[in-house]
Amino acid sequence: MTTGTSPMTANRVTQVFRCAVSLLAAALIVTACSHRPHEHHEQLVVFGTLVDITIFDADDESIARASAGITADLNRLHRTWHAWETSTLTAINDRFAHGEGAIVDAEGMRILRRAQELSIASGGLFNPAVGKLIELWGFHQDDAPKGPPPPAEVVAELVAKNPQMSDLTFSDTAVTSSNPDVQLDLGAFAKGYAVDRAIGIVRAAGIENAIVNAGGDLRAIGHHGGRPWRIGIRNPGGPGILASVEVTGDESVFTSGTYERYFDYEGTRYSHIIDPRSGYPADGATSVTVIHTNGATADAAATALLVAGPEHWANVARQMGIENVMLVDKGNNIHMTLKMAQRVQFEGEAPSVVIVADPP
Amino acid sequence: MTRADWVIVISAVALLPFLYALYWGNAAPGDRVLVLVNGKEVLAASLATDQEFAVDGPLGTSHIKVHGGQVRFTDSPCANKLCVHTGWLHHGGEFAACLPNRVSLVVSGLNNRYDTINF
Repeated sequence: MTTGTSPMTANRVTQVFRCAVSLLAAALIVTACSHRPHEHHEQLVVFGTLVDITIFDADDESIARASAGITADLNRLHRTWHAWETSTLTAINDRFAHGEGAIVDAEGMRILRRAQELSIASGGLFNPAVGKLIELWGFHQDDAPKGPPPPAEVVAELVAKNPQMSDLTFSDTAVTSSNPDVQLDLGAFAKGYAVDRAIGIVRAAGIENAIVNAGGDLRAIGHHGGRPWRIGIRNPGGPGILASVEVTGDESVFTSGTYERYFDYEGTRYSHIIDPRSGYPADGATSVTVIHTNGATADAAATALLVAGPEHWANVARQMGIENVMLVDKGNNIHMTLKMAQRVQFEGEAPSVVIVADPP
Repeated sequence: MTRADWVIVISAVALLPFLYALYWGNAAPGDRVLVLVNGKEVLAASLATDQEFAVDGPLGTSHIKVHGGQVRFTDSPCANKLCVHTGWLHHGGEFAACLPNRVSLVVSGLNNRYDTINF
């Protein structure tokens, strides 16, 4: 540009000034009209845990409807399936203990049949029939038990009774157990089912992008605006985040860990995940993370694979049709399926990783 | 430079603070903490400013501290103090709660590294 003056300058100043003002006005109008899509958090204290709901870009009315619906439904499930407070489930267990069948509604039938299928697919490693063992170890209370561990002969006696989900038979409206020692505890299934229900309610309210996270286990639908949802997986061996995965569409991310509930007694740690074969806490792995569309399946699988441990998890995953698995063993080595390895991003220094080839 | 050039330069500079506020206002490092009582948001605060909050729930007052870009419960009127034992949070999507006192908090922001945490 020139530094001198010419007859044209005054005109140009006016033109350029007008142009600049128009641009500024246009920028203001554009930003004022396009509402910024927003992330909304809703936290509900239901199901004995904190349910954290992240919603991207939905109207307040839909959010309120989803929130109220989830509160009502999860409170209902909590009352129905609670393993030690008086509930429909404890009533069913009472009937079984007396050698009697129990009348169960249609939803209850679906839940119990699905739990039976998953238990059989897991080779009995996910075994919701061992409620007596869980109670014996002191985990049928809100607070962590203090120990000591139960006497070995009592544990062995319960294991010998061999309560299995395959002991259950279903008629149209009733379920009976051929084994009076079957006591149901849906601890490794109910949260997954609840999260599945909650996502159904979110969708029915017209919300397309959301995460329902119930005390650390979650199902996510849609995406976060222009990018996938990013899920951080907490480090089971200490503070901070071990890894992250991106999730779009509709997927559940469930982790079972021995660090979640446990007690220490005379220098030994006893976790709440009991190996139904030995009657003792599962000891081979620290945590297992499973990604699967269905929350209840992911919940049951994470528990079964933790019980299977670093030697056998891949076979059990195959039997259960689970493709995305990450297991952390006691030495903090990571074991993964190839599919999982392709989507997990480690935070910081990559730990020692063993990748197990996916089945052909 | 002509006067026209100056007009352009000054307009551009004048736009900067506005654009900065628009695109970075909520997404500064450290993001925000939302505090909820009974699942309803009662306050939102930047993690960039050290501060403390006393939040009333049905059992009494829960104390929350923001320090160095992190946030935690420091005290709560509940029995087992799980909320306090949860410790410091700073990753987006991390949350902690005092279930008996119905007070919870979650780290939030548009440019979080994580949207939620699995454990």
